[in-house]
Amino acid sequence: MDNINVLIIEDTVSESDALVKVLTDNNYNIVGIASTYNEALALFYNNVVDIVVIDVFLDGKPDGITFAETINIVPNSVKPFVFLTNSKDRQIFERAKLTKPFSFLMKPFNELEILYAMEMAVEKFYQQLNVFHSEDQNTVVSNDSLFIKKKKALKKVCIEDILYIEVEDRYCNIITETEKFVILISLTKIIELLDPMQFVRTHRNFIVNSNKILEIVLSDNLIVLKGNHHVTLSEKYKDVIGKFTVLK
Amino acid sequence: MINRVLTTSLLLFSLFVFSQTHLQKENLMSTAIKVKAQKFKENTNFYKAQNFFLQNNWDSTLVYSMKEINESRNKEILDYCHYFRAISFKEKKLLDESKKELNQISSGFPFSYKVKMKLGEIALSKNNFKLALQYFHETEKLTNKQLYDIKFSTVLHNIGLCYLHLENYEKAEEYLFKSAKRQEIEKDTLLLIGSYMDIATLYYQQYKDNQAIPYFEKAYQLSQKAKSLELKQNATLNMAVVEENRKNFPLALNYRKEYEKWKDSLNDQNKVWAIADLEKKFAIKQKQKEVDILEAENKIKAAERNGFLASSILLLILFGTGIYFYRQKIKKNRIILKQKNELDELNATKDKLFSIVSHDLRSSVNALKTSNGKLIENLKSKNFTELDTLLHTNSTIANSTYNLLDNLLNWALLQTKQSYFFKESLHLASIVQHVEYNYKPLMLSKNIGFKNEVAKSEYVFADTDSLKIIIRNFLDNAIKFSKENGLISIYTRTSTEEYCYLVIEDTGVGMSENTISDLLKDTMLLSKKENDDIIGTGLGLQLCKSMIYKNGGSLEIESKENVGTKIIIALQKFKNHG
Repeated sequence: MDNINVLIIEDTVSESDALVKVLTDNNYNIVGIASTYNEALALFYNNVVDIVVIDVFLDGKPDGITFAETINIVPNSVKPFVFLTNSKDRQIFERAKLTKPFSFLMKPFNELEILYAMEMAVEKFYQQLNVFHSEDQNTVVSNDSLFIKKKKALKKVCIEDILYIEVEDRYCNIITETEKFVILISLTKIIELLDPMQFVRTHRNFIVNSNKILEIVLSDNLIVLKGNHHVTLSEKYKDVIGKFTVLK
Repeated sequence: MINRVLTTSLLLFSLFVFSQTHLQKENLMSTAIKVKAQKFKENTNFYKAQNFFLQNNWDSTLVYSMKEINESRNKEILDYCHYFRAISFKEKKLLDESKKELNQISSGFPFSYKVKMKLGEIALSKNNFKLALQYFHETEKLTNKQLYDIKFSTVLHNIGLCYLHLENYEKAEEYLFKSAKRQEIEKDTLLLIGSYMDIATLYYQQYKDNQAIPYFEKAYQLSQKAKSLELKQNATLNMAVVEENRKNFPLALNYRKEYEKWKDSLNDQNKVWAIADLEKKFAIKQKQKEVDILEAENKIKAAERNGFLASSILLLILFGTGIYFYRQKIKKNRIILKQKNELDELNATKDKLFSIVSHDLRSSVNALKTSNGKLIENLKSKNFTELDTLLHTNSTIANSTYNLLDNLLNWALLQTKQSYFFKESLHLASIVQHVEYNYKPLMLSKNIGFKNEVAKSEYVFADTDSLKIIIRNFLDNAIKFSKENGLISIYTRTSTEEYCYLVIEDTGVGMSENTISDLLKDTMLLSKKENDDIIGTGLGLQLCKSMIYKNGGSLEIESKENVGTKIIIALQKFKNHG
């Protein structure tokens, strides 16, 4: 499980310092602090960024919105972002609202509020609303990562790293080569959200990353994965083998 | 020469004979006319026409009969009218007009024989003897009974005259004698004189002087007894001419003189008539003048009256519009006054708010100032234990002052509708947590217990910032009015399909019913402060109310003095959430 990479765009040092403190305290990884528009673009494109926190006004100009508009133009590079603002000026808001999905936070804010705002940004961005505060789910699935809420903060897991998922009631055990942890999401939902070409169901309780399969032992109804993990292949789901090109 | 003189006298005489028929009133006809007049009483023109006709007022008869002809379609009335006109024209010597009118009378007219008779007379007057003779013969054929009111002798006489003019002397003699005989029987002297004169003329024209002269003399004798001047004149003139022809000049001269005498008296009479006529004309003129004057006066009066009417109407309209505008003005004034009062009140509120806010700020800053002074003092004396408490009070003061300013700003934004307002799905428990987070230290220092029992499944549809302001204010209030060791709990009540109910409950001083109803009153004015020692403007609550309504929710307060207060906020649920 990795920390979330956050890019901060804020021109007031005291505020960015406070922000950095709050975020690092909650195990967020700050990839950079930009105080101008150009700086922000450079940092955004040269680092792996998961969430951007943007102050609307940079040096008295609404450059924060301009930045959001700029990254919005290239669809695949866009990341979830949160606007921070001092004023409730309607015109600024109407403009900011055009950069969908849009979440904002009024200054001054406390720790809980900034964390909440970032979670909201992720939910809205990946269009899986009301996840992190519900009682039966704590994970948002993007195309390359799982965003998991652990205690107060978010964590992420690269989907590519997952070996298999084992379902247990309302929980899912995520097993990577190095870790094993529990997330809160229903089986049907996670199957829906994961790429069906990559993740296949081999058992009532198992979803396997097909890229990690080393061996399928049909006689024992067994699948061997990287790191010597063994997963059961039940009779019902044997058809999945047909999906793979098997060397004979 | 002589013959010619005789002929003129003869003509004169024959005319005289016609008029005789009129001098005797045609009794039968006049009664018939009266009966008709009664029958057609409503035709006023006809009634008037017949009246004038019977009074021999020919001009008026002509006027009214004309009117009646123009209006009426009744054949009977038309016949009578035409008859009236014919007679009137004839009397006025307009023979052609008279003839026309007579010809328009229909054959059904009960007095058609009279019409014939008149036609005959007209023809005779116009020397159209043959035509006249034709008409008279037709009349003659009628039996005596059918000619109730025409003297048959007249008819005979007229026929005789016609023959005389046509120089058919034998026939003329026959008819004239017949006529004379009848008149002798009827003892009609006037007609008889005429007849004798005509017979005499008849003989005289045939140069049968011996036969003629006795008739002239007879006529002359009779004329002496008669009253008619014209007759006397003619008879005398005839005698004069006869004597002259007999060369008996002294006698002729005598007759001439007598003739002149009659002529003079006739002229006198004519003069008297002329004067009377003049007088009449003068009187008529005078009357006309009077009538003109009266008419002019009437006109003036009418004009005056019209002018008066017009001016009074104008005045009335002016008055009406005046009143209308006056009332409009009063109405406007009333509205303006009302608005002015409202504005005054609002302005007073603003001023009051201003003063309260500045007072509060002043006292807060002052407290901060003194506290800072103490802080410096303590720092100098290195009394570090005191420093901690002082800093805590400072932060509390700063916090409450900040809240006040924040409310003020939000109030202003709300009033000017400048603020951004965007409703979205919100996780209620998290929002409550966020607000509560800022108050934790304060509650700890006041030793107030806090419970957040908001259902984790509740999502509301609201604007984030306004919802936070609402919760913050109520929480702030709850803390403000809580005693030490009090308990504040925020929880949700069972929600309906539409609404989610958020309850903020404290165990503070509570409020009376009156205070509650005052607070919930729908007014822009700020409520009075009850607890002078507790900082507050009432602004917070007004702000919350406005924001709750703006979010589509509602507010309820349940409270008991010295027990506690429950603030119940109904918020719209987020519907799309499955």
